[in-house]
Formats: sequence, structure tokens, C-alpha cells
Amino acid sequence: MRDSLQTRARRVRTLATIRAWEYRQRNHSKGVWFRLRRVLADAESAFAIPCSAVEQLEQEGFLRESVGTEIEPQKAILFVPAARLEEIPEKRALRVSLDTDFFAAPCVALLRFRCAKHGRP
Amino acid sequence: MDFRDKLLSTLKAIRTVLHVPGVMVIGSEVPNLLQPNAASTLVVSQDVDIGVPIGRLEDVKAALTEVTDLRPSEDEPSVWTSANPASIEVNFVGMDPAARDTTDAYVVEDVQLPLLVFGALSLLRPGAVLELEDLEVPLPRPAGLLLEKLLTERVAEKGARDLLVVVGLLVVMRELDLEELEAEFVNLPAELRYAVRSNLTVLSLMQGMDGMPDPEDQRVHIAALLTRLEELEVDSS
Repeated sequence: MRDSLQTRARRVRTLATIRAWEYRQRNHSKGVWFRLRRVLADAESAFAIPCSAVEQLEQEGFLRESVGTEIEPQKAILFVPAARLEEIPEKRALRVSLDTDFFAAPCVALLRFRCAKHGRP
Repeated sequence: MDFRDKLLSTLKAIRTVLHVPGVMVIGSEVPNLLQPNAASTLVVSQDVDIGVPIGRLEDVKAALTEVTDLRPSEDEPSVWTSANPASIEVNFVGMDPAARDTTDAYVVEDVQLPLLVFGALSLLRPGAVLELEDLEVPLPRPAGLLLEKLLTERVAEKGARDLLVVVGLLVVMRELDLEELEAEFVNLPAELRYAVRSNLTVLSLMQGMDGMPDPEDQRVHIAALLTRLEELEVDSS
């Protein structure tokens, strides 16, 4: 009986248990990180924008990604086409990442990859 | 001697094992070997994983009797090492093509060559045989290896590099491979399908690492793959 192999086998089974638990949590708070990453995965680029610009975008029919309200502090996250982004001069490019800059920006506009779905408005 | 030479030297040393049907090189060295002329520029750990179908264990043990440059380590006989600095470690791991549970792992006890069998390795299918110099190296098909990598436990630096290996596979995958991946994906249990998609989102946001393919360059393909996999979820619901 090789203890090291048995230990590794147990670790794999433990991982499976954790994975099943995470899956059961997917629609609750703990699933928010997947949902947030999923939104960002569709983004070719990201920009911090003034919150006043968000109000204007919403008036134009652009919708906030709901995951932005599931974290604290809440964030406004919207997908915006490139042409409309050009009209927001105060925008500041962010790395598409869950890094400090991203979380520090209360309002974020994302440019969607062409291949990604859910184009709106 | 560079890493490529060490890798090839090691594979030559276990040539008889590579001739056993069903045996293949698996793990992080596969993208290294898939580079043009097996350039092996990716920075991964200095070992090579050899997948052994559990039904071929006796054949592999017989083949190992002809291996002279490496020996089983005292700590763990499934790891073979060499005093020769031109060689890297060889890790033998078990594959059970009939495994029903891709999340399970168990040990095949054997005095000479005990094997840790990972259920996720049942996703691997024999693929191309790479011809390098006078060596034939059996490799898995990229689709199964990509899924297996996306389901592998990720811990710290090694885990991150393991995940970046997926980028190396995405680079070489063609439409047929993606279709094969989709076919395997829909057969996974729901929590594993979720884990695959979750790890793809992690990969999409990862920073590059020295000596590894840059995930930034593949983000658009990751987004497209996520969309394809999600459409399959909708179809199956």
C-alpha cells in the first residue's frame, strides 16, 4: 500500500466533493465569481467611465449586467459598442481582469468580442 | 543540454514502454511536443507523464525491464528517475478507459509499478503518433486532453501553469477537435461541465507567465468556446 498515492487519490475525491458543493452553490452568492468572470470573458476590452455616462447609456437602452449588483460595493457594468464608447471621452482603459483597478472603478463599460453572444441593445 | 534534448532523451530511454499499445505521453509536455519540431519552449515541471491503460500494466512492466537509464524512486515506484542529468523524471499514471466516474481516483496496487488512476484520464483518446528523430511518441487527441486539463486540480504556480497548458492546446486545435470536445463535454456530469466553463473563465482573465503561451492572445477563442459550450447546455436542458 503506497501511502502517497492513496493520499493523492483521497485528495482527488475531496476535490470532487468540493466541486459538487460549488456546483450546488452556483446560483447563490458563492457563484457570483463565476458569473462575474463569465461577463468579463466576453469582453475584448474594459473601461472605467464616469457614472454620469452610465445614466445616459441606460436612457439610451443599454442594460446593466445584473452581476454588478451582486458584489459589494456594487458596480455598474454595461456592454457598449465601440462607436458609442468613442463618444465617452473621459473613459480610462482597464485591464480585463479582476484586479484592483477593476474593483476600484464603480462604473465599467465593456466592449464585447464579436464572437460573443447577448449583443444588446 | 536544453530541455527539449532532455525530454527526447528521456522518451528514448523508455522507448519500449511507448511501444505498448494504448500507452501515451499525457500532461503538460504534450503542448511542448506539439510545437513545431517539438521545440518544447513552455516552462513546465521537469517531468513527463506517461499514461498507462490499467489493462496494459503487465505489458508495461515487461517493457520496463528493458529500460536501463531510469529506475523507480525509493519514495514512489510510479516515479522513475535517473542519475543522468540528461534525463527528467517519468511519472506513470493509470488510465481506465472504462471508468464511469471522471471525478474519482483510485490506486492500482502493484509492488513493481503501483498506479494512481485518475478518472478524468478516461477522457483521453489515442491521437497522433509523433515521429521525432528515430522515436515514435504516441499522444492523446487534443480535445480530451483539454477537457482533462480543465478538470485538473489547480494549486498555486503549478496549477496556473497547468491551466495555461490549455492555451497551448487551443492554439493547435482545429474545428474537428472542437467538435470532438463538444461531444465529450455533453457527456460530462453537470458539475464537471460547470467546472470546465468556470476554469475557462479563469483562464480568460489570467495574466501570462514567462515561458507560457499568453492567454491574452487566445481570449477571443476562449469566449467563442464558452459560447459554444453554453449553447450545448441550452440544448440539453
